Amino acid sequence: MLNSHKTVLLIDDNDVDLKINSKIIKISNFFEEIVTCLSADEALNYLQQTLNNDGKLPDFILLDIQMPDMDGFEFLEVYKNLPKRLTGNCTIAMLSSTLDFGDIKRAEASQHVVKLLKKPLLPKELAEVLKKHLPS
Amino acid sequence: MSAPNVRVLYIDDEENNLQAFKASFRRQYEIYTAISAAEGLKVLQNISIQVILADQKMPGTTGVEFFKSITDTYPDPIRILLTGYTDIEALADAINHGDIYRYITKPWNDLELHNSIKNAYDAYKAKIDLRNKVAELEKTNDELNRFIYSISHELRAPLVSSMGIVNLVKMEGLYNSSGEYWSLIETCSNKLDYYIQKTLQYYKNNKTISENTAIDFHKLVPELVELYTYADHETTFSVDIHQNEEFYGDVFRIEVILGNLISNAIKYQKETEVNKRVSVNVNVRREQVEISIIDNGMGILNEHLEKIFTQFFKSKVNQGSGLGLFIVKEALNKINGKITVSSDPAEGTTFKITIPNAK
Repeated sequence: MLNSHKTVLLIDDNDVDLKINSKIIKISNFFEEIVTCLSADEALNYLQQTLNNDGKLPDFILLDIQMPDMDGFEFLEVYKNLPKRLTGNCTIAMLSSTLDFGDIKRAEASQHVVKLLKKPLLPKELAEVLKKHLPS
Repeated sequence: MSAPNVRVLYIDDEENNLQAFKASFRRQYEIYTAISAAEGLKVLQNISIQVILADQKMPGTTGVEFFKSITDTYPDPIRILLTGYTDIEALADAINHGDIYRYITKPWNDLELHNSIKNAYDAYKAKIDLRNKVAELEKTNDELNRFIYSISHELRAPLVSSMGIVNLVKMEGLYNSSGEYWSLIETCSNKLDYYIQKTLQYYKNNKTISENTAIDFHKLVPELVELYTYADHETTFSVDIHQNEEFYGDVFRIEVILGNLISNAIKYQKETEVNKRVSVNVNVRREQVEISIIDNGMGILNEHLEKIFTQFFKSKVNQGSGLGLFIVKEALNKINGKITVSSDPAEGTTFKITIPNAK
């Protein structure tokens, strides 16, 4: 399939979902490399370190909404001030099991988010987002 | 019967009156007296008084002025004004500004005064009861809102994880590896998820305040059709929309209504039908929008037509939740919409709805 994308970063406090979604992405061969973080904080540390070491930055982020301490929306607030080298080349989709109208509206209104994907993640839906927003 | 714990404050500049009042009522009430408005205020600061009687004609502050002065600081006690004169101006002032419950002329009649105090106390109790009930209700409401949010997330999240695992099992080609167990798990999970979603829709419909925004049916209807046909590719949809007018309405409820009807039209197809069809027609007018959803599905028996909008009514043919059309009807009620249905097991079912344009 589309295996020309490089790195994806998954951020989710739920380790079961992290496992499931990594596996789905792996089987579908969407990315060469999969990085997982169990909190927004861990993800920001990872991004900062990668920026400092001139490492391989993610091309795509799948971001959970409800997480303790720092939720997906709070992550975006910090993310948008990170260097353009990252934010200019990285696409974000949110991923949540939410049915809450407020959450859905907020995600759709956010400038940095191309799409709110619903859990469970379906390979077909992810493929569509990648095709539309991540030209290979 | 008298309530022994009724605390009454009587303010009068004539000591004789205070004494007479005490003599008449000390057995029925817990009595506090004050010789001036200033003294009365001191009592209020220290004791939780339920009924206040004040003489109108006092040097310095009049009874009405005193009542006015405590409207914000002590709003709860019920006020009774006593006066020796039939002073129309004081009376008008008392009614208009003093929030006064009764107006009693001096010399008072013991029985009349007693009844007034008793009634005043009842009014006090009713006021406090109401306030407590409102506070309780607000708390319950708050809890319900939190509960709804937790259903929509905490309760659903692990279910959704299980559904994800089933997807993964399919991707790895293991779906048929354990007989039909995986497909049974999938059916159960989907059913539970469906119930959670319908329950949420029902509560949200009940609680959310109607908000009108501009609705573009050219955009909304195809989006909904796409959403519900995602898992079904057998049904051919034809969508016909005429919108030359601006339409304002409650987009949340309109989505709930159309979503349920579209998903029903897909769900209740004839299994043997080769050419499964649903057409959605929208006609926006100045006063209202008319929408019809027509399918060539299994139809609804005549004797069921009356019952389909009631909660938990289910057809025997296909296991529904008995919630979809009930929610449709509830949501339409909230936005003053109407629905009619006609059906024929040979031809299929037509739902027609009209929703007023809130422009």
